[in-house]
Amino acid sequence: FANSNISPGAGMYPPVAKLNLAADPRKMRRIIAEDPEWSLTVVPLLSNLCLQHIVRNFEEKPILEELLPRHKDYVLERLSPSLPLQVTANLISDDGYWKRCCKQRWGLCDVSSYGHSWKRMFFERHLENIIELYIPDATDPKTVLGMVPLCRNYVKRLDISQLMPPIKEPQKSEDDDNSDSASDMGMDGPSMDHFDFGILLDKLNHLEEFHVVYRVKGCGMNFEWNLFEFTFRDCESLAKALKSCKTLKVLRIHQSKVDDEKCRQLVNNLLDHPSLRELNLSHNLIGDRGARAIGKLLNRSKLERLTVYDNNIRGPGAQAIAYALAKNSSLLSLNLRLNRLGDEGGQAIAQALLKNRTLKWLHLGGNEMTEPTATVLSQVLVQNNTLRSINLSCNRLGMDGGKVLEEGMCHNSSMVECDIRLTEVGQESDYCISQVVRNNQNQAHRKHNTEENLAQTSEHY
Amino acid sequence: MFFSHLSFRQELGDDSREKKEIKEEARKSQHQVEQSEKRMIKLQSDGTELVTNIQVAADSRESRRQTEVEEAHRLRVEKLENEAKSSLEKFEEITRKWTVAKMKEIPQDLRDSLSSQQQLCALLIEDKNKLIHELQKEMKLSDDRYVKDLKKQAEDVDLMIERMEDQVKFLMGSYRDELDQIENSFEHERKILLTGNRKKWEQYTKERRDKELENVTQRMKRVEEYEVLLQQLRTEDTEEYNMIKIKLDTDVQILEQQLQQMKATYQLNQEKLEYNFQVLKKRDEENTITKSQQKRKITRLQDVVNNLKIKCANQEKQSREENQNLTDDYTRIMQQYKHMQKKMRHFAAIDAKKFEEVWLMNEEEVKALVEKALDTDRLVHEQQLGLAWQRPSLAFMERCGPLQPHRQTQKTAHQAISELLQLGQTSGLGKGKYQEAGVGPGAESPGLAVEVYDSGAGLESGSSEVEREREGSEGEHSGTVSVKIVKKLLELLCDEAGFLIESKLLKLLSPLEKDEQSLMKLDSIFTAMGIESEEDVYKLADFFMKYRHTQGEQTQDVSAKWGVASPQAERGEFTSSCSPPSDLIHPNDVLVALRAFTAQHCRPRELAASHQHSMLGLGGRDDTEDAAYWEAMGDVIPEAKLKIWGALEAALDKYHIVLTERSKFITDTQSLKQQNTELRMLLHQYVNSRVNAELEIPPNLVMQLAPEGTN
Repeated sequence: FANSNISPGAGMYPPVAKLNLAADPRKMRRIIAEDPEWSLTVVPLLSNLCLQHIVRNFEEKPILEELLPRHKDYVLERLSPSLPLQVTANLISDDGYWKRCCKQRWGLCDVSSYGHSWKRMFFERHLENIIELYIPDATDPKTVLGMVPLCRNYVKRLDISQLMPPIKEPQKSEDDDNSDSASDMGMDGPSMDHFDFGILLDKLNHLEEFHVVYRVKGCGMNFEWNLFEFTFRDCESLAKALKSCKTLKVLRIHQSKVDDEKCRQLVNNLLDHPSLRELNLSHNLIGDRGARAIGKLLNRSKLERLTVYDNNIRGPGAQAIAYALAKNSSLLSLNLRLNRLGDEGGQAIAQALLKNRTLKWLHLGGNEMTEPTATVLSQVLVQNNTLRSINLSCNRLGMDGGKVLEEGMCHNSSMVECDIRLTEVGQESDYCISQVVRNNQNQAHRKHNTEENLAQTSEHY
Repeated sequence: MFFSHLSFRQELGDDSREKKEIKEEARKSQHQVEQSEKRMIKLQSDGTELVTNIQVAADSRESRRQTEVEEAHRLRVEKLENEAKSSLEKFEEITRKWTVAKMKEIPQDLRDSLSSQQQLCALLIEDKNKLIHELQKEMKLSDDRYVKDLKKQAEDVDLMIERMEDQVKFLMGSYRDELDQIENSFEHERKILLTGNRKKWEQYTKERRDKELENVTQRMKRVEEYEVLLQQLRTEDTEEYNMIKIKLDTDVQILEQQLQQMKATYQLNQEKLEYNFQVLKKRDEENTITKSQQKRKITRLQDVVNNLKIKCANQEKQSREENQNLTDDYTRIMQQYKHMQKKMRHFAAIDAKKFEEVWLMNEEEVKALVEKALDTDRLVHEQQLGLAWQRPSLAFMERCGPLQPHRQTQKTAHQAISELLQLGQTSGLGKGKYQEAGVGPGAESPGLAVEVYDSGAGLESGSSEVEREREGSEGEHSGTVSVKIVKKLLELLCDEAGFLIESKLLKLLSPLEKDEQSLMKLDSIFTAMGIESEEDVYKLADFFMKYRHTQGEQTQDVSAKWGVASPQAERGEFTSSCSPPSDLIHPNDVLVALRAFTAQHCRPRELAASHQHSMLGLGGRDDTEDAAYWEAMGDVIPEAKLKIWGALEAALDKYHIVLTERSKFITDTQSLKQQNTELRMLLHQYVNSRVNAELEIPPNLVMQLAPEGTN
């Protein structure tokens, strides 16, 4: 014990080896500058010994808060990252320790996306790992629930990138046919189809963002359709869980085959949610009925950003959304990329924009819109001065549509971005529009600069 | 002045120009910054466009694919529907044919129909298979397409990444370039500024140099001018100087002479002063010596004073303590004294009693002895001498108790007054009664009792003297002052000197008779005035009379002088004229007279009082007569008788001697007679005894012989 403390190198050697001092270069040197721990004193300080003892027995008897700040740092520097979380979770708040934990566990880490908090990163990723590897009926739900009191205060975002389905019964071959369609709600099947978030979400009282994908990562050649299934049961439990989570601000469910029914169920449970700000249902199968539900949600929540690109929304659905949009006063951003709105939906949206005074960012790319929509949009460009950015790429607006837009754009002074690539507009109108946009940008920039200057001067005086 | 002002203005102009330049230049750099900023924004937007182009292309492709898929789906559905229709028709035909086939009874036909049926079925199945095959083909195609899409997407992603990297690189390069440009522009500006400033600086330094040169030349010129002037002034000054010097030299000579004179006088004065100084010094020394001596003396005296003060204080303290002690002693001794007095009185009383007892005892004894002596005398006279005895007169035998000397104490003032009053009243009241009354108030006031006692005791001592005086004085008084006058005087006193009586006493006296009242009043007045004895009373009266004589003349003179007298005076005159002897004093003069009297009278009385006081407590009895008394007792047998007794005694002695001799002889004879008888008896015995017979020679023979022999 004493040997090991005299110098870190000395303890390694058997006592006989000490005679050969030249073998250890450290013995030959008076001062070892590169080692910050090195000290001239031969006998370590009693306080250091005590601290080392504390470090060694931290698991049995965690003493940290009672120590002096200097000693605390000393102990935190030496604590092993593999200590059980039950001991460390609520006791240690020092980021250095959690950084070591993260580095040890995942190697490369980007802490900037976690609010520069290593602890948050550790717990979020830890919880995500647990949930992603959770197999229904096979894993004990206590493994998740046990983590709740430890990580409850630190988890703000959950990004679930996969969810395991239950283990297949031997009658797998028979079920193969049914697996294509939605699960048959088998009475004697597994108690759940995926992890049930209902047991978790209401307990995480700091959760703000929730991303979930109902799929299995890297299945490779073991592909089966039922690995990518979002069943009604799942939808039901998820919807309830979401309803119970009152702090949620951002919800993202994508690539999960959310169809109209499921969308409606989710939206029904999200109505009047107290804090939801952003909803992302991209890469799903939402049709007109789902769009209608979303339209209903728009005016019964505080949504600021709605993203439903790559879905199957057509004219009627767009009309429903447009109807909601006309009355809405909170939505700032709307993304309807890669849907099938057509002229019917595009016109409806544009008509709504004539009334709306809050939307700033609109993406209508790839929606099979043509000239009629462009004419209405040119009206919007003239009348609406809150819209900052519009994306109409991949719509066959045609030469005439481009001209109409150009005309509308001439009377506009608020548009900062206007994407009309691949819309078959004439080069002339394209140039004109881009010119106007640039002017607007410059103006906005100047305005911004003067405002900044004003702020600075006012601060100065 | 003007130049400097102008230059200042120039400077100002330069300054403003400079500022303008700076502004312009600053604008240039700003312009550069703005330009580069714009360029960068453009570059950025271009870059993002370039990058997002891929996405947009992918989007369009995707949308196209979606439409295609939709179209294919629609076609497929149509195709399937058509196929289903045709197959249904075919199927119906087959089923129809089945009924036809059932009708057939000829096996040949049946076989044909069956085979045709079979063919038809095969056809149907073939169609279906074809469809399936087509679909499978389509699926394969779509699979291929999917794979292609995937590849394409991967390519796109790669392309995107590549473009992004390129973009980043390009942007970084352009940023660097812009930065360099901006820096260059700033540098350029700075250079321009520097050169401008340096130019200005050089210009200013040059100006300054020129100015300095000018100044130097001006200064040189001025120096030369001043030198010429100086030379001129110098010559003038030397001439003046010489003149003044000569003049001053003569002055100096004169002054030197004066100085010599002054020096001489000064010498003289100095010597004088020195002498004076010496004298003064000496005096001063003496003074200092005397002063020091005085000082020393003062200090010494101060010390002495201090010491004395301390001593005095100590002394005072001591004396105070002593005084305290002495007062304590005094009180103690007083107490002791009182105690002693008490004891003494006690002892006096006891002694008196004892004395009386002893006296009585002795007297009794003596009387018994006297009686015995007388008896013996009588016996001697009657029996021995045979004379008739007569008893001598023995007056003292009748009396018993100690001899009471009849002391005629001086009559107290009180008694005198009462007597006088009695006289005035001529009432038949006994003297004893008055005495009782007099004793009453004395007993009432215990404070006075002691005094009375004391005075009484004092008076007792000199009783004999007083007696004699009184005898004398009474005669005098009777001669000078009549009793009546005295009584009147007393009444007057009683009226006039009422203030001396205590108010309390007055109250007490109110119920008494007038005479008694006045008696009491007078008594208290006299005690207040210190008049105690009758003698004093008479003295007072006498004094009053005398006073009246002297004063009366004066008053008369006064009244005569004034003509109109005061009513009191008139009354006094009236009273004096009315009263037959007209000896009485005027009431107004009573107090004055009293005062004079007390002033005269009190001193001798005090002396007497002190004298009396010293005699106090030595209460002696008059023992002069005792000796005579006892002597008389002892002389109850007169000298002659004693002589007789002596002679008688001598004779009796002689007679006694004779008688004693006779008695002696008688006794002798008697004893001899007895001896004879005894001897006879013995003889008889011897003779008669038997022994004799035994003897050779009987005694009786001897006896017979003996007597013969002897005889």
